[in-house]
Amino acid sequence: MSVSADQAPQAVGRTPGRRRDRMPILRHAVLIGWALIVLFPIFWMLQTSFKDAGEWVTWPPHWLPHDPTLKNYAQIFALDVSGRGVAREATEQPFNIWGSLADSVIICTISSLIALFMGTFLAYAISRFGVGGKHFRHAVLLVRMIPPIVVAIPLLMYYAIMIPFATEAVLGTRVILFDTRTGVSMLYMALTLPFVIWMMLSFINEVPYSLEHAARIMGAGRMYTLWKIVLPLVASGMVVTFLFIFILNWAEFLLSLTLTHPKVSTLPVLLNKFQSASEGRLYGPQAAIGTVITIPVVVLGIVIQKHLVKGFSFGMVRR
Amino acid sequence: MARIVLKDLVKVFGDVTAVQRISLDVNDGEFLIMVGPSGCGKTTTLNMISGLVQPTSGEITIGDRVVTYTEPGERGLGMVFQDLALFPHMSVFDNIAFGLRVKNVPAREIKERVRRAAASMHILPLLDKRPGQCSGGEAQRVALARTVVTNPAVYLMDEPLSSLDAKLRVDMRTELKHLHEELGSTFVYVTHDQAEAMTMADRIVVMNLGRIEQLGGPLDIYRRPATRFVAGFFGMPTMNFIDGEVAANGGAPEFRAKNLSTALPAGLDLGKAGRGIVLGVRGEHVLPVDAGEPGAIPGIVNLIEPMGDTTLVFFDYGGPNRLVAKVDPDRALSPGDRIHFKFDVGSCHLFDGERGTRLN
Repeated sequence: MSVSADQAPQAVGRTPGRRRDRMPILRHAVLIGWALIVLFPIFWMLQTSFKDAGEWVTWPPHWLPHDPTLKNYAQIFALDVSGRGVAREATEQPFNIWGSLADSVIICTISSLIALFMGTFLAYAISRFGVGGKHFRHAVLLVRMIPPIVVAIPLLMYYAIMIPFATEAVLGTRVILFDTRTGVSMLYMALTLPFVIWMMLSFINEVPYSLEHAARIMGAGRMYTLWKIVLPLVASGMVVTFLFIFILNWAEFLLSLTLTHPKVSTLPVLLNKFQSASEGRLYGPQAAIGTVITIPVVVLGIVIQKHLVKGFSFGMVRR
Repeated sequence: MARIVLKDLVKVFGDVTAVQRISLDVNDGEFLIMVGPSGCGKTTTLNMISGLVQPTSGEITIGDRVVTYTEPGERGLGMVFQDLALFPHMSVFDNIAFGLRVKNVPAREIKERVRRAAASMHILPLLDKRPGQCSGGEAQRVALARTVVTNPAVYLMDEPLSSLDAKLRVDMRTELKHLHEELGSTFVYVTHDQAEAMTMADRIVVMNLGRIEQLGGPLDIYRRPATRFVAGFFGMPTMNFIDGEVAANGGAPEFRAKNLSTALPAGLDLGKAGRGIVLGVRGEHVLPVDAGEPGAIPGIVNLIEPMGDTTLVFFDYGGPNRLVAKVDPDRALSPGDRIHFKFDVGSCHLFDGERGTRLN
């Protein structure tokens, strides 16, 4: 690895030198163009969140709010005296962004963490013991090939009817998953588990088995070896995987919409509620919520940036 | 006390039999080296001793305990791996301390023992570094220190020097031998390098195709290889082999091959005259002689390889393969020269043409 890294610049450097001088300009032009395309909606969301109602859909468009306001934020964060969400006069549903925030944070964190650790251990078993056979790694991804819309309604049937009645008949108590954090968390965990297995398998395969042999000869048990040797070596991979599935869960809309109401409501579902028959889509508050939803993910990304770089460059274990 | 006894060990992987009924006694305090080409079962045998691989059948005894199904960590052994298997995320100190921490040794004692092991391996200044910051030789010493610190009765080494460059490898051989003398523990060492085996071992086990071909001291194996395989495996350059047959020439036996015949020592009881036989003779026993000498065999020099202390001369004699002779480097020879040679009859080896077993 180090050899090729040392030699590559020399080998490539001299001969096609002129090409290298011209290439960065073209490359940067393409990348900047692409970045603009990708970032524009985010910019639009950000500036819309500071616009008042009249400015949302003006023509010609206002590229920046002429009269910046925090009204949208005040509105989405507003609580009434009792601490419950306020119902805007025009929209009948009460909004409680704090409740939704709590729902989202708890559901996503717990489901992502459980999926992360379960998936890591499963990946370890697949990598070291060949659990599930040769093609399990691919088979496990099949779960994700089913469009969520296909399972949304059957799941609703299970959550709302089958499970409560079946458990009442068998156990004597109703197990309620519909409109609960537990219910959504379990589903999110199951749906992101294949990704965790898939990603962590690549990282664990990078850890030489001889490290574990060495630990075993010195008398370390399997769990001790896992905690002291394997997990620290794949920690960056786990961080990257966590971020990946956390974002998936954080932005999940369809299943959360189907399986919750009215008590639990994740942020994407809340976002969708900001529209009304009389006023149409409330672009300002929606943009404000969109901004609020985006911030934690960006912050998380910055905090774990070091791991991201390490985790995305596979082959980080030095042999 | 750590005598190792292997009894009828067999290991089958799927439909491949890696080790076929091996029985072996390793004496207490012995430096035993298992050598053979890749795939001969030597590493599998070592791993069965370590417990990392479970034998299909057979029994392993270490000391006076039968450990066939004992966990590796409870067999009282230390192992150095081919890739060293240092933990990349831990400092050198933590690497060496790992085995002691597993056994819940008190922190103060750990510190002392790690420092002592590090001092004996001359790596004290490295204790705070990561393995990735160490050079190849240093990493090698860290791996040894990590093994030494737990004070095992048996050391298992799986080609530990293969990651080093040639010069360092030769230096480490001497050091390993010193270490063995100092510790007095039993060493079982696996390598595919015959020179490593010759220089370090008390006894050598030569393996091929999952079986033991020969067990003996380095010189025994070099001088009296039990099979054609062993004969070809040891020695640089490779021993000359000539296919032919033995015929009785009057009373004295004679070896005959295409364009070549040579007398054999009298009193050889082969009893199989006429049957396919392979004559093996090392380069140093192929002696250049004057053209007029009786029994001299003529040849044409093909290639010269000066080694410094000797010169290797490859020549054609009219048979199917070239032969090689070790000659005095002062002898001026060049490709195309005519040369006459003779075998040192007393140092020739005769092998069965089919089974490869030694006949004389």
